[in-house]
Amino acid sequence: MTESAAAGIHPQSAATPAPIAPTKLKVRDLHFYYNGFHALKGINMDIPEKKVTAIIGPSGCGKSTLLRIFNRIYAIYPKLEAKGEIVLDGENILDSSYSMNRLRSKVGMVFQKPVPFPMTIFENVAYGIRHHEKLSRADMEIRVEQALRSAALWDEVKDKLKQSALGLSGGQQQRLCIARGIALKPEVLLLDEPTSALDPIATGRIEQLVEELKSEYTIVIVTHNMQQAARCSDLTAFMYLGELIEFDRTEQIFTKPGKKQTEDYITGRFG
Amino acid sequence: MQANVGAVAATVPQQEERARRDARHDRLFSGILMACALLVLACLLGAAGATLWGGRHAFGTFGWHFLFSSAWDPGSDTYGALVPVYGTLMTSLIALVIAVPISFGVALYLSEVAPPWLRTPVASAIELLAGIPSIIYGMWGLFIFAPFFADHIKPWLTNYLGNKPDDGKLSWVAQHTFLGKLFGSDYPFGASILTAGIVLAVMIIPFISSVMREVFQTVPSRLKESAYALGSSTWEVSWDIVLPYTRSAVIGGIFLGLGRALGETMAVTFVLGNAMQLSPSILDPGASIASTIANQFSEAAGLQKSTLMALAFLLFVVTFIVLLIARWMLRQLAHKEGR
Repeated sequence: MTESAAAGIHPQSAATPAPIAPTKLKVRDLHFYYNGFHALKGINMDIPEKKVTAIIGPSGCGKSTLLRIFNRIYAIYPKLEAKGEIVLDGENILDSSYSMNRLRSKVGMVFQKPVPFPMTIFENVAYGIRHHEKLSRADMEIRVEQALRSAALWDEVKDKLKQSALGLSGGQQQRLCIARGIALKPEVLLLDEPTSALDPIATGRIEQLVEELKSEYTIVIVTHNMQQAARCSDLTAFMYLGELIEFDRTEQIFTKPGKKQTEDYITGRFG
Repeated sequence: MQANVGAVAATVPQQEERARRDARHDRLFSGILMACALLVLACLLGAAGATLWGGRHAFGTFGWHFLFSSAWDPGSDTYGALVPVYGTLMTSLIALVIAVPISFGVALYLSEVAPPWLRTPVASAIELLAGIPSIIYGMWGLFIFAPFFADHIKPWLTNYLGNKPDDGKLSWVAQHTFLGKLFGSDYPFGASILTAGIVLAVMIIPFISSVMREVFQTVPSRLKESAYALGSSTWEVSWDIVLPYTRSAVIGGIFLGLGRALGETMAVTFVLGNAMQLSPSILDPGASIASTIANQFSEAAGLQKSTLMALAFLLFVVTFIVLLIARWMLRQLAHKEGR
């Protein structure tokens, strides 16, 4: 299916802004079904490389669902089905021949609540790496340190790497989860409401971290917090009832939204 | 206004009365609860005390030697506890070695892999299996499994692994490993320590697997999703995330099964062979504490009866030690996890 044809079928969803960077993830006519319920209705969007793309919208609009298709995490549950195309570096990741292991080394994900594994801090970071690479002990130590440094956590945990990760604070746990995700050196990092369980100070640190990480990673962040989207994203997508209503540069969305629904949502008239 | 104040003041004695009544009721309530709890403790101590008292002649006659002697001769009234204690521990150990991996597989399949429509029927089937009376397992073991074992499994084990093969030619395994002794036997029937262990395993699999299944289901799905998101396979998620997360409860479930295996009487009595002999081979018949008591109690008198009482007390002690070990292991794990 060509781009224009997709746009022709779903003109309301094909709101792709003028390109600000090469496209990393190209979503074409994406539909998603939960036990037969039509949760996403023909999404088309071009997610640019090494930028932060925020997805906002009221609860149940499908924003987390969309994010969870980008690494096909939905596939671990039965009766969920995605149709359409998501092209990452020229290949359709929804194709059943696309290796799950490869996809998950390219697309990392951080979840809503911090979920450290029941092991030491070091092992939490090393765990994912072991699924994809065989490293010597020394190389592994370097990789773990790099990941913890990029997640701005190293200074706080360097003396207790052998302790259980469950003893860290919520904000530290979430940064550990980010470290765990970037330790795999993914190309895309998906953040699913990463600060919704954190206090304002920890939230500030995560947002700062997102700002630092975007020089290396394509970041897609789902958030229910509009200020957060405004603060840390380059592009913002507004979704409503399973459709992509508007997708544009963040300042455009928050100052001169093109659609009435977007304006109503960001000004707090519903949501 | 005045009247209101008066009305409030009038209720103060009522409130105090009510408070006193509540305190009385709470005291009574906590007293009843404590009595319930103490009753259990009293039963336990009473049973332990009664068996110890009943076994005083045996302990007095044989002393510490009772624990390490394999003698069992009603003719000369000499008894030792080693054979039944060994039989109890060995059959239970075999049962665990077989039951734990199978239960783990059953539980993982049901909680992680099986399609939803299959989960509930299989889980209920397992619970039904747990409710089958042990005499039925005993009959199945005696009439069906033991003959099958003697005809099809035992010859293979004795000939290829054991040190007493039919044709006299020792296999490499029998010559070079301890398995030769473990599987060497010229006893022709199906009843043996291994048979009892296998029947016990079948009996405790439902217990262990339903505990495991329940605790596996308590693992938060976001924890599993995080591991899948890092590229883990189902096996890796189960082994690296689900099992460590539920480790202490899984150990609890295993010890629940072990507790049942140690005390199991009827089924074991049917398939153990009830021979008061100490053999290194698990294909030879043996005896367990519970089976010895069940077999001999009706015709025992005097010192022999006291010996059986002493054995019952030893079963208490063995079970207690197993529980202590379980507690200790759980505490070690808690330390390790830093909780």
